[in-house]
Amino acid sequence: MSNHEETLIRVEDLKVHFPIYRGVIRRQVGSVKAVDGVSFQVKKGETLGLVGESGCGKTTTGRAIVQLYKPTAGHVYFRDIDLVSLKEEPMRLMRKEIQMIFQDPYASLNPRMTVRDIIAEPLLAFGMATGKELDTRVKELMRLVRLDPDFIYRFPHEFSGGQRQRIGIARALALNPAFIVCDEPISALDVSIQAQIINLFEDLQKELNLTYLFIAHDLSMVRHISDRVAVMYLGIIVELADRNEIYNNPLHPYTQALLSAIPVPDPEHYRRRSRIVLEGDVPSPANPPSGCRFRTRCPKADEECEKGRPEFREILPGHFVECFKAEVPSPLKEVTFEENSILK
Amino acid sequence: MTNYIIRRLLMVPLLLVGVTLIIFGMLQLLGPVERSALYVKDFPKNDKQVQGIITRYGLDKPFLTQYGIWLVGVKDPVTGERDGGILFGDFGYSRTASQDVIDIVKNRFPNTVDLALWTVYPMLSVGIWLGVKAAVNQNKFIDQAARVYSIIGTSFPTFVFGLLLLMLLYAGPQYFLPGKMSDWVSQLIFSGEFKQYTHLLSIDALLNLRFDVFWDALRHMIMPILTLSYINWATYVRVTRSSMLETLRMDYVTTARAKGLSENTVINQHARPNAMLPIVTMAGSSIVGLLGGVVLTETVFNYPGIGKAAADAAGQLDVVTVLGLAIFSGAILIFANLIVDVVYAFIDPRVRLA
Amino acid sequence: MTEQPEMIPTGDNRMLDEVFSDRKITWLEKTLGTDNYRIVKGLFKTPASIIGFILILIFVLIAVFAPAIMPPVDNDPFKMPRDGYSGEPRGPGAEWTRKVPDMPFWYEPLTGKTEMTHVLGTTQGQYDILYGIVWGTRTAFNTGLLVVAVTVIIGVVLGSIAGYYGGWVDNVIMRITDIFMTLPYIMMALIFSAVLTPVLGRSLWPPLIAMTTFGWMGYARVIRSDILSIKERDFVLAAKVSGVKKNRILFKHVLPNAIFPTLVLASLGIGEVVLGFASLSFLGIGTEVGYADWGQILSFARNWITNLDRYWYIVVFPGVTLTLFVMGWNLVGDALRDVLDPRMRGKI
Repeated sequence: MSNHEETLIRVEDLKVHFPIYRGVIRRQVGSVKAVDGVSFQVKKGETLGLVGESGCGKTTTGRAIVQLYKPTAGHVYFRDIDLVSLKEEPMRLMRKEIQMIFQDPYASLNPRMTVRDIIAEPLLAFGMATGKELDTRVKELMRLVRLDPDFIYRFPHEFSGGQRQRIGIARALALNPAFIVCDEPISALDVSIQAQIINLFEDLQKELNLTYLFIAHDLSMVRHISDRVAVMYLGIIVELADRNEIYNNPLHPYTQALLSAIPVPDPEHYRRRSRIVLEGDVPSPANPPSGCRFRTRCPKADEECEKGRPEFREILPGHFVECFKAEVPSPLKEVTFEENSILK
Repeated sequence: MTNYIIRRLLMVPLLLVGVTLIIFGMLQLLGPVERSALYVKDFPKNDKQVQGIITRYGLDKPFLTQYGIWLVGVKDPVTGERDGGILFGDFGYSRTASQDVIDIVKNRFPNTVDLALWTVYPMLSVGIWLGVKAAVNQNKFIDQAARVYSIIGTSFPTFVFGLLLLMLLYAGPQYFLPGKMSDWVSQLIFSGEFKQYTHLLSIDALLNLRFDVFWDALRHMIMPILTLSYINWATYVRVTRSSMLETLRMDYVTTARAKGLSENTVINQHARPNAMLPIVTMAGSSIVGLLGGVVLTETVFNYPGIGKAAADAAGQLDVVTVLGLAIFSGAILIFANLIVDVVYAFIDPRVRLA
Repeated sequence: MTEQPEMIPTGDNRMLDEVFSDRKITWLEKTLGTDNYRIVKGLFKTPASIIGFILILIFVLIAVFAPAIMPPVDNDPFKMPRDGYSGEPRGPGAEWTRKVPDMPFWYEPLTGKTEMTHVLGTTQGQYDILYGIVWGTRTAFNTGLLVVAVTVIIGVVLGSIAGYYGGWVDNVIMRITDIFMTLPYIMMALIFSAVLTPVLGRSLWPPLIAMTTFGWMGYARVIRSDILSIKERDFVLAAKVSGVKKNRILFKHVLPNAIFPTLVLASLGIGEVVLGFASLSFLGIGTEVGYADWGQILSFARNWITNLDRYWYIVVFPGVTLTLFVMGWNLVGDALRDVLDPRMRGKI
C-alpha cells in the first residue's frame, strides 16, 4: 500500500432521495431512496472501489458527490469545503479539482464536436488557454491518453469505443484535477480493451498523483485497481475495507455471496468452493425493508435483524461492516479468492 | 386513470378563462366608441348617446373590470335587470346579420354539426384503408400511388379543390349543389309540415320519413364532404402507412406469421389495431376540428354554418359578431377536446399512467 | 467513398491507434457538423426531394426576375395592372389595350405574337392573371419567410426557456401554449385580422400579425420536448462537470442538437403560411383588391360560381401555382423529416 496522507474527500451521511408523485394534485407520496446514508473517506492518491449490483445506488452516489444531482441530505467535504453547501458559481469553480468520467463512451461525447473542441472545452470554460496554446495543450493530453494527436479534428463517431473513452479521460484530465469519479468507465468496452484502459488508469494515477473513486460492478476488475473497496446494497454501504481484506476475508453475508459468484477459470477451485446463492429479488428502493436491508435475502438473518439498522462499525482495523451477524472468523476461511492470472 | 380525468377536467376552466381573455384582449384593441356597438341594436346617432353607452357599460374602465363586465353584464340601476354578459348567453348584437349573435349560433351551428356528422366516416375510412393497403403492399404500385397522392393531397389548398369541384360537378352538370337546401325544402319547413326535432336537416328528414328531403340534404353536402375529406385522406394515408410499416416490422408480427396464421389475420388482428393508436389521436383532433367551423369549405360552398357566418362578418369587419362566434367556437372546442382526451385515456393504457 | 460501418457499442478488437476512416472531411462538413452534413446530403437523395428543390428553385427564379418577366406598370409593382374596368373576365389570349406593360423578353419568342395579350386571361375588373401570378410569387415568399421566421423565433425562445429551466416557468409557458393551441387557426387568424384592419388599415399587416400570433405554438412544443430529452444526455452532464456555464451549455450543446426537428417543421411551415395567407385573402380579409397575391386572384372566383366552367382560368392558373408552391416545400420538408429520423414520420 502506498502511503496516503491527507483525506481528500469525506462523504458524510449522504442521502439522495427522488420523490414519487401520485394523485390529482401531484402530492409527494414517497421517495426512491437511491442513496440512504453513505459515509466514507478517500485519501489522496488512493483508489476507492465502489461496487454493487445494478440499481444499488453507486452511480447516483458518484453523481451526487460531483453535484450533478443535488443531495437530499448529508455532506461532501473536499479538503474541508462542503460541496453540498456551495452555490452554483463557487461549485463551478470547484470543478477544476473534481472531475468525472462517464460510462457510455458514445453518449458522453457531443457528436457534433471535434475531439479538439471536446477536450478543449474545460480549458475554455475557465479561460485557461486560447488559440495555439490551446491546441498544444489538447495534443499533449491526447498523447497522455495514448491517442494519436493527428486525429485532433476528427469526430467521435470515427473512433472506436476504447478510443472514445480515452477522449473522455483526456477531457477529464484537462484541468489537472485532484479527484476523479470514474463511473463504470470500462463496462461498455470489450474485455481486451478493458485491460488496456485499466492499465492506462493506473499509469495516469502514478504519473499525475490522481485520486479515484472507481465505480464498477466487475469485482475482479475492481480488485485489480483499488486500494480499498466499498460494497453497496440498496443505497447503503454494507462493507468497507482494504482490498485484500475484502477479497480474502469478507465479513458481510452479501459480500460473501458476491465473491462466491465470481467466475474462476480453475475447475479444481470450482469443485472446492461453496457457492452462496441469494434467495429472492432485490427489494424496491422506494420501500426498503425495515431493520437491516439485506435481511430479506440473507442466509444468516434472524429476528434480531428486524430490529433496526445495524451500526456501521469497525469490526477490524480499517474494516467496516454494517451487520448484526458479522463476526471475526476463525483461521479456517469459508471462501477464498485466488488472484485471476489474466490480470497483470 | 380517474386522476387523469380529474386533472383533465380541471384544465377546462383554465382554458376557458385563457381563451376568453385572448378574445377579449383582441376586442380591447378597438376604442371605446367602436365597442359601444356591442351593446346596442342601432348604431348610436350622436356623441351623447355614445358617451351614455360608454358609461353604462363601463367601457373606459380598467382592463380587468371591463373583462368582468363583459362576462356578467351590468345591472340596470333602475329595473335591476341584467343586461349583457357572455356567461348569460348575450354575445352581443350583429349589425351585419341583423340579429343577436346568439341567434346566429342557434341557426347556424346545427348546420355545421350536420355536415360534421356525415363527414367523419368518409374522412377517416378512406385514408386509413388506403394507408393500410399501401403499407402492406410496400413499394408496389398501390404504395407508390398512395404516396404520390399524399404529397399532392396535402399541398392542394382546400378552397381551390372546392372551386374545382364546383367547376366540375356543379357549374356544368349540376349534379351536386352548393348551399344547404333547395328552395322547395325551405318552403316545406316554413309551412310547418316538417317537424324539426334536432334541427339537423338530414336527421330530421329521416325522422319525418321524408327521404326526398334526405336526398336533397345529402346532395348539398356531398361536395363539402369531399372537400373536407380529401386533405384528410392524404394526411391519414401517410400517417397510417408509416405507423403500419413500423408495426409490421415488430417481432410479434413475425411471430404471428410463424405460428401459421393467415396473412389477413396477421394484418387485421395483430398489426392493425396496434398501428392505429397514433391515428386515433389524430382522428380525435380532426373530428374536433370539424366542429370548430370549417370556414373555408363553408364559404366556398355557401354552406350556412358558423364558419361561413364568421367569414361573412369578418368580411364586413363586423368585429362584434366575429368575436362572439370565436368565443362560441373556442368553448365548443375545449369541450370537444376534453371528450376526445377522456376517450383516448380509455383506449390507450399508457395515458392513464401519465 | 465507402459507407461508414454501423457503430454498435459492443467494443472492438482493433489496434488502439487505428481510426476507421481515411475519408476527407470537407469544409462544408466542418462548418455544419457531421450530423447536419449527413442530413444535407440525405436531402438530395430521393427523387421526391429533388423535385421539391427544383420547384422551389423555379419559384425563387420567378420571384427574383419578376420585373423582367412581367414589367410593372404602376409605381407600386404589387398593384395588378387593369385593362379597363369591365366586369366580365376574359380568357387567355385576350387583347391588352389599356395600361399595357413593356413587352417582356420572352413574349415574342414564346407566343409568336407582336401585340401584347393577356396570356392567362383576366379576372373581373380586368386584372391580368399572369402578372398576378408572377408578382404573387414575390408576395408569397415575402409573407411566408417573414411569418415563419418570426414564429420560429418566438416558438424557440419560449420553448427553450420552458424546456431548459423547467419548474413553474415551464408550467406557465406550457399552459399559455395550450390555450393558444385550443383555438382554431384559420378562424383566429381571420378574426384577429378583422379586428386589426380598422386599427391598422387595409394592408398586408393585419393578416401577417394575425398569423404570427397564432402560429408559434408548434415550434415551442417541439423544441421543448427535444430539449427535455437532450438535457439528460451524458454529454450535457459532462459539459456541466467540465465547468461550462449553464447558458453556454444551452447554446452550445443543447440547442444545436435539438433544433433540427424544429427546422423541419419550419420548412413545412412556409407552405402552410402561404396557404393560410391565400385563404385569408380568398375570404376577403387581408390585402386590398387588386394586390398581386394568389389568394386575391382566387377570391374573384367567388363571384362566378355558377359559371366556373366558363371562367375556369381564374381558378386553374392561380390554383395550380399555389399547389405547386406548397408542394415544393412539403416535399423538401418530407425529405428532411425522413433523413432526420425515420421515426418522426407521421408524428409531426
